[in-house]
Amino acid sequence: MTSASTPVSPTGTQYAIEILGVTKRYGKITALGGVDLDIEPGEFVVLLGPSGCGKSTLLKIIAGLEDLTDGEVYIGGKLANYLKPSARDVAMVFQNYALYPHMTVRSNLGFPLKMAGRPKAEVSQKVETAAALLQIGSELDKYPDELSGGQRQRVALGRAIVREPLAFLMDEPLSNLDALLRVQMRSELLRLHKRVGRTTVYVTHDQIEAMTMADRVVVMRHGLIQQIGPPDEVYRRPANRFVASFVGSPPMNILDGRIATADGRRTFIGPFPVEITGLAGATVDDGPAAIGIRSEELLLTTEATAGSFPAVIELVEPVGADIFLTATVEAGTVITIRVDAETKVEEGATVHIQIAPGATRLFDAAGDRVRLAGDGA
Amino acid sequence: MSVAVEPRHGNPGALQAIAAEHARSRRRRRLRGLGKHAFLIVVTLLLVAPFYYVVLASFKSSTEIFTYPPKLLPIPPFIGNYQKLLGDTGFLRWMFNTLFVAGTVTLIKVFMDSMAGYALAKLQLTGKRAIFLAMLILLMVPLGALIVPLWALVNWMGLTNTYLALILPPLANPLGVFLMRQFILGLPKDLENAGRLDGLSEFGIYRRIILPLIKPGLVVLAVIIFTDQFMSFIWPLIATSSDDLQVLTVGVAALRSHGGADYGLWSAAAVMSLVPIGVFFFVLQRQFLARSLAGALKQ
Repeated sequence: MTSASTPVSPTGTQYAIEILGVTKRYGKITALGGVDLDIEPGEFVVLLGPSGCGKSTLLKIIAGLEDLTDGEVYIGGKLANYLKPSARDVAMVFQNYALYPHMTVRSNLGFPLKMAGRPKAEVSQKVETAAALLQIGSELDKYPDELSGGQRQRVALGRAIVREPLAFLMDEPLSNLDALLRVQMRSELLRLHKRVGRTTVYVTHDQIEAMTMADRVVVMRHGLIQQIGPPDEVYRRPANRFVASFVGSPPMNILDGRIATADGRRTFIGPFPVEITGLAGATVDDGPAAIGIRSEELLLTTEATAGSFPAVIELVEPVGADIFLTATVEAGTVITIRVDAETKVEEGATVHIQIAPGATRLFDAAGDRVRLAGDGA
Repeated sequence: MSVAVEPRHGNPGALQAIAAEHARSRRRRRLRGLGKHAFLIVVTLLLVAPFYYVVLASFKSSTEIFTYPPKLLPIPPFIGNYQKLLGDTGFLRWMFNTLFVAGTVTLIKVFMDSMAGYALAKLQLTGKRAIFLAMLILLMVPLGALIVPLWALVNWMGLTNTYLALILPPLANPLGVFLMRQFILGLPKDLENAGRLDGLSEFGIYRRIILPLIKPGLVVLAVIIFTDQFMSFIWPLIATSSDDLQVLTVGVAALRSHGGADYGLWSAAAVMSLVPIGVFFFVLQRQFLARSLAGALKQ
């Protein structure tokens, strides 16, 4: 039962976090332009986007550290707009850890519980448990400046864990670690999430983090959500050109052209001949359009085949298991092809490229992906 | 077994030349070092000499002070000046007044300035910029321009010849707020935000997070305020006329009007006046180092 003073979500659903039409303006600058997002209990949601896209602002609004201009935030089904940060039942892990430098690890971990007025024995027991979970049990009496980057990160996580909140909010928590430690902490974080099982909202601009950790990825740009979906869907079926070029490394090849109808048949006229299945029934007008093809969906053939087109290899970049090839097709358009490391190819060579069946995405003049028959979404 | 060393420049004489060059360079460095030390010693002497002269004079009788050649060590020391200072003048009362006023002003101001600094640095307040600007402008107004209106105000409030007349006006000096604001501006916002999420009130954030982190700044501010109050002369001279409320500076200056030129007594007063401020520095110097921010944030 909920008291009259704490309005429940109008949708009546039991989302862990529900964001309805949230807008944030700083003077004339709009940081968030009406964001809607539902997060299920236990879900790991990653907010992904370039710097300044509003992802951190959204996280701070959920945490109560920023006021919103318009909209509603429900946490645990209750309206949180007017709740203090500490009353929202969320814990935050900051990008720069934000450990209290004048307190030991033990005091840092126990501080939120102490502030909540929990008995000393309970604080002590929870601190010990969290420290054991994060393998920092032997560091409890050290000060933050005596810890390594990874240990500080664990303390920051521990400070969130001891509170046992409804949701964890993480603001680029791994961005200050070196590459190796980042990979290690990433998998540790995932293991931790699986053990603790709390709703997590994770902000990052690192798409690898987003793709490997998220149950769902929320791609943002200019304060607007571009796409919400499982990592695989965001990667394979990007909602628009921005998502297509932001997610994936190397980014999706986007080739501009136009759709024309000739002899009652609709075709895409681009830098090279492309057969787009399902174009006939697609809801897109004739005119400017673009196609997107992932680099690994371009296949090299030694000889010209039906539907293949020639290209000259400009650059060969081995990246371990794969090789990235930069190639120029006849019309001067540059594309990137990903082949496995065993492929023998030299700069300056002419190759033939075949597009994998069903690999072509079509974007309309506005940049939105056009649903094609058989592409599943 | 000996190891043949191949001369670096393919020339057998090159090694000797290099060794000679090293020796020359060492000599040059030594000479330069000597020169630097000589200069420093001269500067130190220039700085210490007047102070030593005052200490020396305080341990000499009036006649001894002017003997020629001067005695460089006061043996046996003459303690009559100190006896006279502590017994015949109001020195101890002046000292108490000074310590009471300077201590009270320092305590209140460090507390007030750090709070105001926090508000100006971190809180979202309407008119924050205007307040800060007004403070900067006030910083530029010299004390001389304020003395008459200040006295009129204090007089109107009926506070002349009270401790409040000595304590209240210095509290309005905005220098400390300015210093504290600059200090607190340097602290990362995420630390406060962490405090907010941990359930701290604004005052809690100030007391439990900001204050411990700005300890070196607080100590610097305390030293500035304390020494400023300790040495302030014009305002205490104007604001009080009662003997009971005289502070050190005013009292020691007044010694000159009693009993002619007693250099020994004046020197003893000067030396004794320095004791509390020396103790104050000694106690606080260890506090200058607070736990660094290093561990709090990304590197």
